[in-house]
Amino acid sequence: MTAEYFSRSDRILVTGSSGFIGTKVVEILLEYGFSNLRCFVRPSSQLARLQKTIARFDNRSNVELVAGDLLSRNDCQKATEGISLIYHLAAGIEKSFAGAFMNSALATRNLLNAFLERGQPKRFVNVSSFAVYSNLSLKRGALLDETSPLEDASQERFDAYGFGKLKQEELVRQYGSGRGVPYVIVRPGAVFGPGKRELSGRIGINTFGFFIHLGGSNQLPLTFVDNCAEAIILAGLKPGVDGETFNIVDDDLITSKQLLTAYKSVAGPFFSIRVPYPVAYGFSWAWEKYSHWSKGQLPPVFNRRRCSAEWKGSRFSNEKIRQQLGWRPRVPMTQAMAHFLAQFESNRG
Amino acid sequence: MSSFWKKGLSTINSQLLASRNLRLALIGCGKIADQHLHAIHRIANCEVVAVCDRELLMAKQLAERFGIPESFSAVEEMLGLVKPDVVHITTPPQSHYLVGKQCLEAGSHVYLEKPFTITAPEAESLVEMADRRNLKLAAGHNLQFTPEMIEMRRLVKSGFLGGKPIHLESFFSYDLGDETYARALLGNRNHWVRQLPGQLLHNLLSHGIAKLAEFLDDDLTEIEVFADQSPLLRELGEQEIVDELRALIRDKAGTSAFYCFSTQIKGLNELRAHGPSGSIVVDHSSGSLIRKPNRSYKSYLTYFIPPLVSAREHFRNAGMNIINFGRRKLYQDFGMKELIERFYNSIRSNNPPPIPYREILLTARIMEEIFDRIYPERIQKSEITGSRSEVRPATGGFAVANASDRAALARRYSGQ
Repeated sequence: MTAEYFSRSDRILVTGSSGFIGTKVVEILLEYGFSNLRCFVRPSSQLARLQKTIARFDNRSNVELVAGDLLSRNDCQKATEGISLIYHLAAGIEKSFAGAFMNSALATRNLLNAFLERGQPKRFVNVSSFAVYSNLSLKRGALLDETSPLEDASQERFDAYGFGKLKQEELVRQYGSGRGVPYVIVRPGAVFGPGKRELSGRIGINTFGFFIHLGGSNQLPLTFVDNCAEAIILAGLKPGVDGETFNIVDDDLITSKQLLTAYKSVAGPFFSIRVPYPVAYGFSWAWEKYSHWSKGQLPPVFNRRRCSAEWKGSRFSNEKIRQQLGWRPRVPMTQAMAHFLAQFESNRG
Repeated sequence: MSSFWKKGLSTINSQLLASRNLRLALIGCGKIADQHLHAIHRIANCEVVAVCDRELLMAKQLAERFGIPESFSAVEEMLGLVKPDVVHITTPPQSHYLVGKQCLEAGSHVYLEKPFTITAPEAESLVEMADRRNLKLAAGHNLQFTPEMIEMRRLVKSGFLGGKPIHLESFFSYDLGDETYARALLGNRNHWVRQLPGQLLHNLLSHGIAKLAEFLDDDLTEIEVFADQSPLLRELGEQEIVDELRALIRDKAGTSAFYCFSTQIKGLNELRAHGPSGSIVVDHSSGSLIRKPNRSYKSYLTYFIPPLVSAREHFRNAGMNIINFGRRKLYQDFGMKELIERFYNSIRSNNPPPIPYREILLTARIMEEIFDRIYPERIQKSEITGSRSEVRPATGGFAVANASDRAALARRYSGQ
């Protein structure tokens, strides 16, 4: 698994390492034998899951936990000292645009600067999101892949997270072309697995006190957390893919309706109402127009861009990542779903 | 000249003044900056021409999202090149005094987010400086201008309370369950909120205190303070931050005021004003104002009539809110837009600013007195006067030392 350009003695930094995907990245790196690891966490992070994961491995003596804030240049320098490969998973889950920008783009800029100053940069793996895509101009059911258009009006879409991720990607590309940082961008779809109980917003919303099922028979861009983590790791290790972008979705994708039915069967029945896409689109259009007319008396939480991105329905492909990184989902979809649903078993009476 | 022509000329003159285009700039492009820009977007005849942040990328992202032509990372450069009429300062409070001073020196009117400054002497200095230069200041006490607060002010003026309030109560609750904020604050010892002398309270107290300052005299005779940690903070192992506060304040004229800040109580944001002939309850959470005339009823009617009167009040509020929604006036930041618009109008017409300086200074003084009791070890070095060691609690409760000196300064601005 070791790449030619990368040796096991090289030190790896994983930011966001105590998170849902980050912990799994650390676990699989240790599994692969990459034990020269520095795990960067926020001072306020819950570390129990990460510590438990690390404790399972005999080769953990070189695993270091460093607490800090990526908005602090000093902390970034401490984090990147002697580092050759960075898996940058830390994300700015902020509702405000300024907060999302700060925790995504500024944090990444600080990390990249520190990487250039204190590290021995071999690769920077930037973990982005499907939230950067816009399918407003795509037809229903069209293929959404790495060549699809990116969102160009995050403010209109009212999506601070997507805005932060877009700006983060822009910065990474700038550092790649302008300052020679070798980078790879990965965009995971909807990551699921044990430890994450929420349903993806692509299935529906709970906003009005009951579940509105908006996804219908749309295919979901699911990726099981183990599969996603492994894809991220390969993006750091595979030689010859600098500057590339990869979407991460699993094989045998299921539909929104299939997932909701399976979820209800284990989590217990609850009332949900199916709203067809044209109705959702019309509602979003009306809401957006009212929001604009009233100068934001109702914020544009529903709008055409968001509606398209989440509920229009697209097809997804993992062709590029399979071909260029040689990635194959290690957990098949049926097994992945079983792991995901098992966490709700105790809910059954 | 006949009164008809005088009236006509005066109307034309005010229309011309009101239509004067103001060129605005904003310093500090963090979360609150978006709120300012959204509020400004609703106001006619003004244009944001530049934004500035020590972190240029922050300024650029804001400029890009709001279509603002210029972004800067240096205040001096921006003020020199853009020469804005008004500057909104939305930086962390530690920089308010120095940045505010810079803007006044450059000839701009200044809107400062709350808390106005770190210390009372800094607030006094800014007010004096603005006065000397014939410029205007506003403090970001935007809750003072919600529809219900405007209505409350009208009622008080019309004599509903039957005179000066005898007792006031201000409640402000803050939900630390907002995980993003709590996590960032508790997890980062360098967070700017933690660096404030009054820490979390310093950032959140001013709205509730400003409501009391509006009705209290400048001569305060007593401040009693009780402060504690909520069980949540204790459980999280927080050592420094205090998030429960009760304060009892009394002025020389005998008006008493109670202030309650809590992170345990949810959704409580009220002002209660009690006068000789009636009481008013302003509830920000529901955008309501309840009038309670002091009236007694005979026999069992006292159990029937007052609840019905209260019910009528609640229906009236619901009706008004529905009408305001239809008129596009029920948006979240109405208070901010109203305050900003009134501030701009005061600049155009050279009238007194919407928040009298007396109230800004009194709010700063009360806050300083409170923090001095909670965090005596965090005595502040003011940017302008060195230590504030002259302010010390006296014996017998917490009489405010040298209150008369401060009050003398505040009285200068009480006519506004």
